[in-house]
Amino acid sequence: MNATSRLTLTTALTGFVLAASAASAQDFSGQTLVVGTWGGDIERLLKEHAAAPLEAATGAKVEFLLGGSGDRMAKIYAERQNPTMDVTFQNIYEAPQLLADDLVVAPDPELDMYKNVWEGMNDGCYAMSLVGLGIAYSKDLVSEPPEWADMWNPDYKGMIAMAPYPSSEGDGLLGVAARLEGADEHDADVAFAKVAELGEPALTYTSLDEVFALMEAGEVAMAPMISGYVLAGLKEFPGIGFSFPSDPGPVLIRDMVCQVKDSPNPELAQMFIEYALSAETQKAYAEEIYFGPTNSTVELSESAAADTINSPEEVDSLLALDWPWLIEQRADWTERWNKDIMGQ
Amino acid sequence: MSIWSQPTGSLIVDPTPTIKNYARIAGDGYYIRGLLRTLWLSLATTALAALLALPLSWWIVRRAGRFRGLILTLVLIPMVCGALLPTLGLMNLLGPLGVINGTLKSLGLIDRSWKLLGNQTGILIGLVHAFLPLMVLPLVSALDRLPRDVEGAAMSLGAKRLQVWRRIILPLSAPGLIAGSALVFCAALTSFVTPLLLGQGKVATFATMAYQQASLVLDWPFASALAMVMLAILALIGTAAWGAQKWAAET
Repeated sequence: MNATSRLTLTTALTGFVLAASAASAQDFSGQTLVVGTWGGDIERLLKEHAAAPLEAATGAKVEFLLGGSGDRMAKIYAERQNPTMDVTFQNIYEAPQLLADDLVVAPDPELDMYKNVWEGMNDGCYAMSLVGLGIAYSKDLVSEPPEWADMWNPDYKGMIAMAPYPSSEGDGLLGVAARLEGADEHDADVAFAKVAELGEPALTYTSLDEVFALMEAGEVAMAPMISGYVLAGLKEFPGIGFSFPSDPGPVLIRDMVCQVKDSPNPELAQMFIEYALSAETQKAYAEEIYFGPTNSTVELSESAAADTINSPEEVDSLLALDWPWLIEQRADWTERWNKDIMGQ
Repeated sequence: MSIWSQPTGSLIVDPTPTIKNYARIAGDGYYIRGLLRTLWLSLATTALAALLALPLSWWIVRRAGRFRGLILTLVLIPMVCGALLPTLGLMNLLGPLGVINGTLKSLGLIDRSWKLLGNQTGILIGLVHAFLPLMVLPLVSALDRLPRDVEGAAMSLGAKRLQVWRRIILPLSAPGLIAGSALVFCAALTSFVTPLLLGQGKVATFATMAYQQASLVLDWPFASALAMVMLAILALIGTAAWGAQKWAAET
């Protein structure tokens, strides 16, 4: 054995010992982290970019629980004495509610992952992705990317599709409508009267494809929709465009990732969230499904940058609604929406 | 849970008994209208299903012969494949871009699509389609028990075809009809996927209201109260059907 090979052997052995000790310091094998999130692309991206590296580094298993965020809210509240879910993805208004009810761990301002997120966005939980409520439109019926006010053009009366209420889309539309009348969402009468002027919606959609098919057929002119999935879906529908309006700007909507309080695997949960908020995962979200990164250190390709909200100026141009106040109105507004907008 | 509530600003339920959820249902025209709409849809579904099922069951019992098994299987198929698949199929059939509107348009019979979705018509079509088997099966077994020659016997005594149906067949198949009606009515009353999808969020039934409260508003106590009202109605209908069965058996 010559000097070089002896050196190599020593290095390899040292490396092995170090790796083994590192692994034993963070050996979570046999433990299962439960993560609640939406199925489809989100689940796939989280599996590839957060679950896989976490499993490799810790020996733990990551199990995904798929469904809507409302189902996860119900689960967290029902299990609050004895939580089984460690990490959960919630929407912009559910996260602060969870923190207010003391069911999630408050985001820690000392952590790097907290500091990398755009300022003021870790509201309730950590901000995961940024999307904006804009307008999807039929290029046949609407010649130019529309502004909000164009939805009230009498030519399009009854040809606007809407999401079910309550939803970020519905609250966003009410907030925009109030602003077009010089008020804001705190003036519910103005907001509802203005949205009611749109007439009965052409349809209340449960899937994006449903809206897109009707738009291509000229039955639906416009729909307030959330960028992200829509922009990803549009690649298959050349007759449909998506507009980020400017007066007012798109409504800021973000997904949040939360660590459930007193969950079985707190360390793993925090590690998972670190992976989820990492520049790599956030870049994949932006490049593949056009969800804008909340991590301000992410650098995107030109095409992804054009379709996502990712610069400080874009973030500033977004319309931020008073979500805590909107949550308090939820029950009343749902009844009002059912009666005034859906005419029931 | 239906007598609990959530304090303002929190979703954690407060188990102090209150009747405010029930008061809200009773005091707000929206929920009463929804309840009446649901009852009306269930009643219409039951009537349509009975109208369709009577001749169909008669035909299965008397005329289908060796195809009987096959036809019964075909009738049963919508039941065994769950609510979602047939409903999604109906959406493709009834939608503005669906088979029916497409055919009518290509024949030049209509210019703009008929609205078959997002209204009560669509929901009724969906409910009747989904629950027809619940009417056919009890009717088939009731008609099966009729002696084969009642029809001939009645007619030999001078009864007309309509009279045979009205005075002989209908009364004798009443237990099947009552059982079928109760089943269809209850199934339509509690049906959720069909009104949600075919009503496209525009026609609120009691079940979709409860869903909206439970899964979107997250007001679980109020959703429970809505469910309890539905349960009470189901119990009433069950009792009524039981009473009607007894009455039919006695007369």
